[in-house]
Amino acid sequence: MNGRKKLLRSGVWRLAALVMAAVLALGLAGCGAGRQEAGGDDVFGSGGVTLRILSGSENRELAPILERYAREKGVTIVMDYQGSLDIMRALQAEETPYDAVWPASSLWISAGDTHHRVKHAQSVSVTPVIFGIRESLARQLGFVGREVSVGDILAATRAGELSFCMTSATQSNSGCSAYIGFLYAMLGSPDVLTADALAEPALAEEMQALLAGVDRSSGSSDWLKDLFLAGDYDAMVNYECLIISANRELEAQGRETLYAVYPYDGLSLADSPLGYVDGGSEEKEQAFLDLQAYLLSGEVQDEIQRTGRRTGYEGVSEENREVFRADWGLQPDRVLSPIRMPASDVLFQCLDLYQTSFRKPSLTVYCLDYSGSMEGEGSSQLVDAMAQVLIQENAARHFLQASQSEVNIVIPFASEPLAAWAAVGNGAELEALYAQVESQPVGGGTDLYAAVAQGLQLLEGYDLSQYTPAVIVMSDGMSGGSMDGFLAAYERLGQDVPVFSILFGEADPTQLEELARATNGRVFDGREDLVAAFRSVKGYN
Amino acid sequence: MRAMKAKPKVIGFVLLLAVVAAAAIYLLAGGGRRPAALRGYVGGEKIGVLEDEEIAGIFRNRYGLTLDYAKAGSLDMVTADLSGQDFLFPSSQTALEYYQQLHGQPAKSEIVFNTPLVLYTRRPVLQALAGAGLVREEDGCCYMDMDALADALLEGVRWADLGLEELYGPLAVSTTDPAKSNSGNMFAGLLANVLCGGVADAASVQDVLPRLQLIFSRLGYMETSSSDLFDQFLKTGMGAKPLVAGYESQLLEFAVQNPEDWAAIGDDIVMIYPSPTVWSAHVFIALDEAGAAGIDALMDADVQRLAWEKHGFRTAVSGTGDDAARFGVSGLARQITRVVPMPAYDAMDQIITALS
Repeated sequence: MNGRKKLLRSGVWRLAALVMAAVLALGLAGCGAGRQEAGGDDVFGSGGVTLRILSGSENRELAPILERYAREKGVTIVMDYQGSLDIMRALQAEETPYDAVWPASSLWISAGDTHHRVKHAQSVSVTPVIFGIRESLARQLGFVGREVSVGDILAATRAGELSFCMTSATQSNSGCSAYIGFLYAMLGSPDVLTADALAEPALAEEMQALLAGVDRSSGSSDWLKDLFLAGDYDAMVNYECLIISANRELEAQGRETLYAVYPYDGLSLADSPLGYVDGGSEEKEQAFLDLQAYLLSGEVQDEIQRTGRRTGYEGVSEENREVFRADWGLQPDRVLSPIRMPASDVLFQCLDLYQTSFRKPSLTVYCLDYSGSMEGEGSSQLVDAMAQVLIQENAARHFLQASQSEVNIVIPFASEPLAAWAAVGNGAELEALYAQVESQPVGGGTDLYAAVAQGLQLLEGYDLSQYTPAVIVMSDGMSGGSMDGFLAAYERLGQDVPVFSILFGEADPTQLEELARATNGRVFDGREDLVAAFRSVKGYN
Repeated sequence: MRAMKAKPKVIGFVLLLAVVAAAAIYLLAGGGRRPAALRGYVGGEKIGVLEDEEIAGIFRNRYGLTLDYAKAGSLDMVTADLSGQDFLFPSSQTALEYYQQLHGQPAKSEIVFNTPLVLYTRRPVLQALAGAGLVREEDGCCYMDMDALADALLEGVRWADLGLEELYGPLAVSTTDPAKSNSGNMFAGLLANVLCGGVADAASVQDVLPRLQLIFSRLGYMETSSSDLFDQFLKTGMGAKPLVAGYESQLLEFAVQNPEDWAAIGDDIVMIYPSPTVWSAHVFIALDEAGAAGIDALMDADVQRLAWEKHGFRTAVSGTGDDAARFGVSGLARQITRVVPMPAYDAMDQIITALS
């Protein structure tokens, strides 16, 4: 009986595998322009064994090393970049379509590897999560040349003397680490965070006030650095190595550099573990071990250290001290004594609280394309995507829940804006919004500029200092109309509101990329993995 | 047409050649005794043994076996999906008893390696601990006074109180999750013994559970693998993991396998034997007949010798030669004498439940 069941099950698996293969083949065939053949955010080398690695975005900086290795060894390395929490979720899923994972911290492998598929995990480098503050401001605040506590930083924030940007605590390891550090400080530095302590009402008030001062929350650490460089901000919370990298860029541009501040009671370490996801292929396992051995070899560890990461067992070498510049506040010899991350159940409770109650409420205007070209697949993809955020049961699975006071506005458009529906909070209004999204008919021409301009106009009616505002366009991008009206509206608003786009259907990204460039926004490809793209957009606001 | 007639002979010859060639290839590729692949779960600290080419060669050539493993915590593996698995290779008797509780008697089981539970720290921390009277040196080995350590952990003594201003937070021994992984589990069992003033049993353990919970609750997030914890101890520096619980074998293996790194950091890394300590008994649990062959291979005299010499697991051959010189690890005890048995399964079960 048992054997029979097993046989049946393996039959089902075989069928599933066939279906998967067919779907994959179709997906690849249907893949539009602009994606490399092997897929992935970065593809290094060609031919030979292919290693697909799901990695935190901070490892983008190691691209030259991976590229050189792939070329010399005749292997292909495909890198996909996601936040550490997404990497955890990818491991938890039934199927993990990667050969290796490389999150920022081993915490996320431990929490995610419920199927025991990860082996050979080894830390490649270590870097602490710290504050980088404009040097003159750091001096003015008295943060130079002395030990600084999280409380000191929070006091400066409360006094309006400092504002900073950080990544989303529910998407990215660096944001999560910083947020846990804030919780410890606000709760009076307990030995460890507990569920009881989190329930304190004073905490919610204090945390909301703090997060209201957060400039913008990006979903990934490397993108936060780019955002920082593109904008005009006071400070950011990020990995020490990315603060170093930002400073190199700032210095090259002749701009003021950041001063590194290590809060002694709120420090976290990212140990950057690279682990193999066992899919049963000996060839891949060997290719993985070869790559890992290369990355851990003395020479390459030294090269990685020169990117501002701490490697090896002996700390920063004499030759590399110039990378960790004292005039930037860097302390290569500091004993890095981090706070304790709470047990996973408490950690996830912290993240839920961040999402639903603590973070600055988002004010999101969705401009949804209902023009004729979206008919069929494009439109159904769009409605499915909206179901992932508006229906709270779905949203909770990815820490994308709406908070109690956030505002969501939907502007359906074709050749002109067709309506403007608003929903406040995370209750019935939000569900009703989804019903409207679902029942809106498709047809007519396209003018996405008019819709975005109207969205900006609606934002004028809100006190934007109380929200994290963003516009999200979901479209196939082929629009008539002109950008001028939009630019005029953007100028009139005079606020830093990013316009994000998610592409659907037979998409052309050109126009949407223009919008993103003009507004510090970003374009995502909804055709590859729609839900993941959408989740990223949500994480960035 | 005439050519056709000559052909059968040629074809016959070609066929013969093909058969000979195929036979040769077959023999070269393993002589028909294709190694049987055993699948199972193994605790991370033994992966070095299973990945050892020399040991794998003995498995292949003498026993016709290869081991295909997935890493799992000693207790986690017992509740994992066991379909298609031939063995479990946890690090304690507790895991075996847990298995018996859930699944009944396994096909076969045997303790193949031993290693004592130890504490790892760095030189400056050792000095502070010794200054506070927690650690004593004897015959070149360091011993932790477990009664005094338990008191300090319960009192919430801070690192700064011991003179280590650069370390943030309370004195703590970082362990793996005692509900999932063996080294943490054994440290919890050892602490229970210390708090009970003898080997904890199902009745006496109840009294000490709240104190155990207090000590472990302070640790927050815990790793699920002893090897990951040890890797972090070495790589994240003194500040992140000032004092961790692990196996003696881990440092010995590291020193043998990474001589250059060990030469660089060996002076800073210190092994402390808890007094008393507990033995980690690495039990090979065969889930089926095929798995039972794995026990014979692991008990092979050469495998046992290599397990000690290259991976630091104590076997019949350990403690017989000049071991300290072999590993280059100072403070390696020749014999482990102050040992207390782990609490029996019913007491451990209560501990695991309380700490879950």
